Amino acid sequence: MRFVLRRLGFFVITLWAAVTANFAIPRLMPGNPALAMMSRYRGHINPAALHAIEIAFGVKNHQSLLSSYFSYLGNVFRGRFGVSLTFFPDAVSHDVLQALPWTLALVGVTTILAFLLGTLIGLVAAWRRGSVLDSVLPPIFVITSAFPYFWLAMLSIWLFAIKFHWLPQSGGYDFTTTVGWTWAFIGDALKHSILPAATILVTSIGGWILTMRNNTISVLTEDYVRMARAKGLSPWRVMWTYAGRNAILPNLTGFAMSLGFVVSGAILVEFVFNYPGVGWMFLQSVENQDYALMQGLFLMIVVAVLTAILAADAATALLDPRTRDVR
Amino acid sequence: MSAPSVGATDQPATPPVGPAPLVAEVGGGRWGDLWRAIGRNKKALAGVLLLLVFVVLAIFPGQIAPDDPTAQIYTPALHPSWHHLLGTTGRGEDVFSQLVWGTRLSLVIALAVGALATALSVVIGVSAAYLGGIADGILSLITDVILVLPIFPLIIVIAAYRKNSGLFTLVVVLGALGWSYGARQLRSQTLSLRTRDFLESARVRGERKTYVILFEILPTMTSLIVATFLGAALYAVLTAAGLQFIGLGDPTSQSWGTMLYWAQNGEALFAGMPLWAIAPGVCIALLGASFALLNYAFDEISSPALRVRKLDRTRLRSVELPQPDPAPTTAAENTVLQVEDLSVAYATDAGPVVAVDHVDFELARGEFLAIVGESGCGKSTLLYAIARLLGSPLPGEIVGGRVLFQGRDLVLLEERELRRVRWRDLSVVMQSAMNALNPVLTVADQMRDACRAHSNMSKAEIEERSREVLRLVSIDPVHLHSYPHQLSGGMRQRAMIAMALLFTPDLVIMDEPTSALDVVAQRSLMVQIKELQERLGFAVIFVTHDMSLVRHFSDRLLVMYAGQVAELSRTSELFDRPLHPYSQGLLEAFPSLHGPKVRLLGIPGSPPDLANPPRGCRFAARCPSVEPRCTAAEVPLHAVNGSLVRCILQQGAR
Amino acid sequence: MTETLLRTENLTRHFPVGKLLSRQTLHAVDDVGLTIDRGEIVALVGESGSGKSTIARMLALVYRPTRGEIWFEGRPLSRLRGRRARLAYSAAVPMVFQDPYSSINPAYRVSHGILRGMKLHRGELSRAQRRSELNRVLEAVGLVPVSDTRQRFPYELSGGQRQRVGFAQALALRPKLIVADEPVSMLDVSIRVGVLNLMGELREREGVSFLYITHDVASARYLADRVVVMYAGHLVEEGPTEEVLQRPKHPYTQLLVSAVPDPRAELGLADARDVGEPPKVVDPKPGCRFRARCPFAIAECEAVTPQLRELRDGRRVACHVAD
Repeated sequence: MRFVLRRLGFFVITLWAAVTANFAIPRLMPGNPALAMMSRYRGHINPAALHAIEIAFGVKNHQSLLSSYFSYLGNVFRGRFGVSLTFFPDAVSHDVLQALPWTLALVGVTTILAFLLGTLIGLVAAWRRGSVLDSVLPPIFVITSAFPYFWLAMLSIWLFAIKFHWLPQSGGYDFTTTVGWTWAFIGDALKHSILPAATILVTSIGGWILTMRNNTISVLTEDYVRMARAKGLSPWRVMWTYAGRNAILPNLTGFAMSLGFVVSGAILVEFVFNYPGVGWMFLQSVENQDYALMQGLFLMIVVAVLTAILAADAATALLDPRTRDVR
Repeated sequence: MSAPSVGATDQPATPPVGPAPLVAEVGGGRWGDLWRAIGRNKKALAGVLLLLVFVVLAIFPGQIAPDDPTAQIYTPALHPSWHHLLGTTGRGEDVFSQLVWGTRLSLVIALAVGALATALSVVIGVSAAYLGGIADGILSLITDVILVLPIFPLIIVIAAYRKNSGLFTLVVVLGALGWSYGARQLRSQTLSLRTRDFLESARVRGERKTYVILFEILPTMTSLIVATFLGAALYAVLTAAGLQFIGLGDPTSQSWGTMLYWAQNGEALFAGMPLWAIAPGVCIALLGASFALLNYAFDEISSPALRVRKLDRTRLRSVELPQPDPAPTTAAENTVLQVEDLSVAYATDAGPVVAVDHVDFELARGEFLAIVGESGCGKSTLLYAIARLLGSPLPGEIVGGRVLFQGRDLVLLEERELRRVRWRDLSVVMQSAMNALNPVLTVADQMRDACRAHSNMSKAEIEERSREVLRLVSIDPVHLHSYPHQLSGGMRQRAMIAMALLFTPDLVIMDEPTSALDVVAQRSLMVQIKELQERLGFAVIFVTHDMSLVRHFSDRLLVMYAGQVAELSRTSELFDRPLHPYSQGLLEAFPSLHGPKVRLLGIPGSPPDLANPPRGCRFAARCPSVEPRCTAAEVPLHAVNGSLVRCILQQGAR
Repeated sequence: MTETLLRTENLTRHFPVGKLLSRQTLHAVDDVGLTIDRGEIVALVGESGSGKSTIARMLALVYRPTRGEIWFEGRPLSRLRGRRARLAYSAAVPMVFQDPYSSINPAYRVSHGILRGMKLHRGELSRAQRRSELNRVLEAVGLVPVSDTRQRFPYELSGGQRQRVGFAQALALRPKLIVADEPVSMLDVSIRVGVLNLMGELREREGVSFLYITHDVASARYLADRVVVMYAGHLVEEGPTEEVLQRPKHPYTQLLVSAVPDPRAELGLADARDVGEPPKVVDPKPGCRFRARCPFAIAECEAVTPQLRELRDGRRVACHVAD
């Protein structure tokens, strides 16, 4: 219980740090881009859009830094991020929620799949030490984990979409199909997600395989695994409940720690594929200097990552009795 | 490692599976050793060579590249040819030249960010761990927050407000956000070092904190610091390339990421110039891979468990491989275990080491046999060989001999058949229950696992049996559903013994089950083991380094030295009239609580290096009554008065 | 002619345990009065967790006593002011550690710690003098040939040799009292005696006193002039080695002595039924800490903490029942 509370506290603190960074960064930059932006736009765009920027930066005329910080916090807390300039007059929160399902479906599912699959392969590779699986995979994945995500995305587009015409080259769905819960649309969306999903899977799975393999190898030399063998348990049981369950604990921590890295890669993958998710929209907003939308999306990404970390913590607490005990 | 005899009393002991400790192998020691280790590791070699190529490209681009990378002087979109190895860009530049010139910036960013991030990691991680308390709390929190914040989007946010910022800003921002992973690792490594006595020793000596951090802690963490640098460099390469690719770098700069940006904008893939986009990506991937490979290889070098060592049987001398024997010799009715000519070898970097060398003995039903010897004498290895618990991923392999148990040779049994024998008929108790019990399962779970594997007892029956065995070892059954970490040391040890008795096996193999306990607890556990053994009638093989411990409990005593049986006698006989000089030495090695105080000498010297065993008697170098003939030839076991002894001086004795 | 070198008075050390809201106090050491004479070897005996190592670390200035005082050569340590004075004490009372595999920095050659100690504490020595002093101490602890051993790395040495390096480091400081915390418990049986003998020789040749901390009663008998027995943070019995070990007065000492495996004695099963373990002393109530395991406990033991009282022959015992 205490463990979970502590992790929740961490969630809140990190979120606060992200919000504060959002508030502080434009102010810390030389030349204060927030104010520069305000004066540049004043009189050129309509008052609603100006107000949106005011909210995004927490700038109101003649307000002290501290009080503008608190009103900014208040706005964020109520989900008021202002209005997007790119999709004017959409509220930022509206756009964020529009993009979110796409990203959850693509990046969320793929990441979890990569983690589970990678963990499994790593476990089996370590279990069959010295086998083909074990001697071939690790060096390959050491190298693939150094691939830039976006480059692999470009390469797969060139190969599978341009050369062979097997799969669509960009977008989340074909504009000729109508959006809705129809089989045609779902099938089309799935088809569009294959390449980006494969890209993320290939580049992120290597890390999980390697760490799980190394964890398992060191767990396999533990006395309790030897003891389990001495007890004559089935190899299956030894592999899962004795080796696997102990080896996955550090991997869950690793999952939490490298999630940020995976998400970074996924943003670029969405960008290359013009996939209508959070990452793509994020880079669009950067390009269009749509700071309100950019900040909202950034916070969205932070929340998503933190939620996943919380889930990993919950799994740790579930699997490891030692974290549950109050000492 | 192979200097002549050093020291008045003992010389370097070669551990049976002996890598030097992690820090010694990489963190300190001789640099030559590190280079040799890198030379042996293919991944490390590949990484070093790759990196070297890029370093050369970065230093001499003018000499290597045929063209000015910015000169838009050729026909756009040319295919590869001798003039343009990789074709030309959509803007009429030579792709190969751009690639060569782009190396410099990518490498500079990688190295600079690596250095900056590593420096921050070291300062923050080490001081957090060493200062402890509130300072640690705050620094760790900051570390963790930065660690889980998605760094790349954050950098994009920063870059969005400050477009086309220079190299310096890029390096500072990447470094300032990229130190947290390394800091976390270094902190936990420092924490584990903090309990090491050499730091305490420096403090007791009166050293200042700064000295301890700089000169005692840091030098032992060289390998981790290098790993941190490599990790940060990899992150820098990928992140910088990503930023340049989306146009947040300086688009006029010469770098691979910028090339990709122009390739993407120039629709290189659609316009038939795939190499324009593929080549820079390959370079980024290769540079990244060189860091990743080095990092991985470093991991392998510094944690030997990750390396696979294959036992080279051809280099074993005088050990025959096991041959299936059509008719196993039927042992006497009363024999429960018969070990014949058993040999076990380890693979080491220096070649195979025979840790158990032709060991023979028999064990009668209900007998208590103690195996005694110094660390590294092969006693535990022998035990695990009998229980067939050696082999991957643990080192050690049976290379000869037989283990007859219930009329079958365990050495030849398939794992599937072995499983039927295990625990029902032959169970094992290990030295430390803390390590031998699965930390994530309750005692009840672990008992149930064993029961399920060998019987079809119902849930209630299993529960009942588990309670019963706990009561046998004087543990209140309320502890059945506890996790191991919730029990005290003595209770864990008892719980493990209880578990071994679930099926009342014929043979229980015990590896120093009491040595982690205090004397009082040790004594009461010994008495209890003996009582249970007499009551339930199982045979025991009990390994210990302390022969006085088993004086009143074991029927026979097997003294092992350097992988061989030195003496095998009845316990009382051996204590009264030890035959082997080593047994004599051991008996005189520890002081007594009673009787007159006499000056003891112990046994000067230390056991021989088993990778290179001496000719003749292995104890000769330490033996007080050594003669020239002792080292002339191998010494066989002699039967003397119903005892067996490997000493030439006892030849012909009756 | 004995002269007191070090004396402790009501030496007490508590550690806070638990979380903010449930703050408790672990009594690691309570009211220990200990004396060590010049040239004397005192054995401090007890089970793990009895407070032995905490005492060692208070003597070595790692922990500050919660209460009580340590007097060294007649001067109280609490009045030690300034780095110079602390250094002078550290040189006079160095420590040797239990685990030979972690007590020497693996990144340096074995000469590092020895030379470093001299640099710190004997600044008057020239480089050449330090070299020759290095050779002297290595030879004194039996690490010969010196020219070879001094340039070894710790991982090239055996456990016994490493422990000798520990003593050489101490010796280089010209110590008056060496605090040796379980120096042989992790060594192989066959070489333990060698290290014990070394301590005896150093006492003879260099006139050093030792506080020998151990759980091995038999080795205490072999080496020490006087024995001090600890249980759960209390000093329970003290006196000349032979007296205490041959005729233990405190029920705990009796249990401890009877549990020592002794091949030369008959097996006594008397106290073997004891499955108790030393208590963790957290916020203790008054009373004898051994009472739960004690076969002779009386009502008074529940209420009153027994104080050390003097028996004959220089023996002291903290028990209501013993006589």
